[in-house]
Amino acid sequence: MSRSAGLRDGLRNNSLSLVFLTLCVLTIIGQAVSGTAQYNNDALTEGLQQVSVWQYLVSSDFAVDVAENWQSEYLQFLLFIVLTVWLVQRGSPESKELDKTGRESDEEQRVAEYSTDTSPAWARVRGWRLTLYSRSLGLAMALIFLGSWFAQSVAGRAAYNEQQLRQLQEPLPWLGYVGSADFWNRTTQNWQSEFLAVGSMAILAVYLRERGSPESKPVGAAHDETGAQG
Amino acid sequence: MTVGWTRAVFVGCVTFVVLGLAYTVALGVLHR
Repeated sequence: MSRSAGLRDGLRNNSLSLVFLTLCVLTIIGQAVSGTAQYNNDALTEGLQQVSVWQYLVSSDFAVDVAENWQSEYLQFLLFIVLTVWLVQRGSPESKELDKTGRESDEEQRVAEYSTDTSPAWARVRGWRLTLYSRSLGLAMALIFLGSWFAQSVAGRAAYNEQQLRQLQEPLPWLGYVGSADFWNRTTQNWQSEFLAVGSMAILAVYLRERGSPESKPVGAAHDETGAQG
Repeated sequence: MTVGWTRAVFVGCVTFVVLGLAYTVALGVLHR
């Protein structure tokens, strides 16, 4: 295989992840530009100094805005991954079949003595490695969720306290901020939108189709066919 | 070849997220 064919194949075979990562970087640039403009608008009315994009990128305002959105996205996927083990939605391609709730048998999951030559190494042996590997996707989402929620609390406190000090108000310690209206308003306004989107996805896909998408059932699939992918 | 690509994208994504988290925490701590 030539070098350019290898590059083309590599990009094509990973296009889903690469396109989303690129979109993430581009929108962070957009967030930095618009965030700087908004910060400077507020600074103007409050008689404060204007900042450059680079100064805004190292501010706690930027950090908290990034972290609060990250935590809610990872919470959404964590809950979606874990709750779909037990909860089902009749007719949804996002749900497993109605009688398959739970962690399923070793045979169905192809682990230990039911593993194959191509199974991952940690799926082939019983013990802590199998237990850990069997939960690794949810654990990774949980770790990133908790990490970014913590980041939101630390950066949010710094941003909140800067504003408090400008208004000659008392700054809050970390624990005080975690119990504050600002922290929970930022948190819940992100959570509600994620939960609505996931719930909508699960139920809309019962009756609506997107031809060719693995997130949809085949266009001709029956409305009550559950767990089918097109 | 393409498995190498997939692994690289995986490692790149995880690195991006971990560095992003460390960056936001660091900004919060520095602006305390």
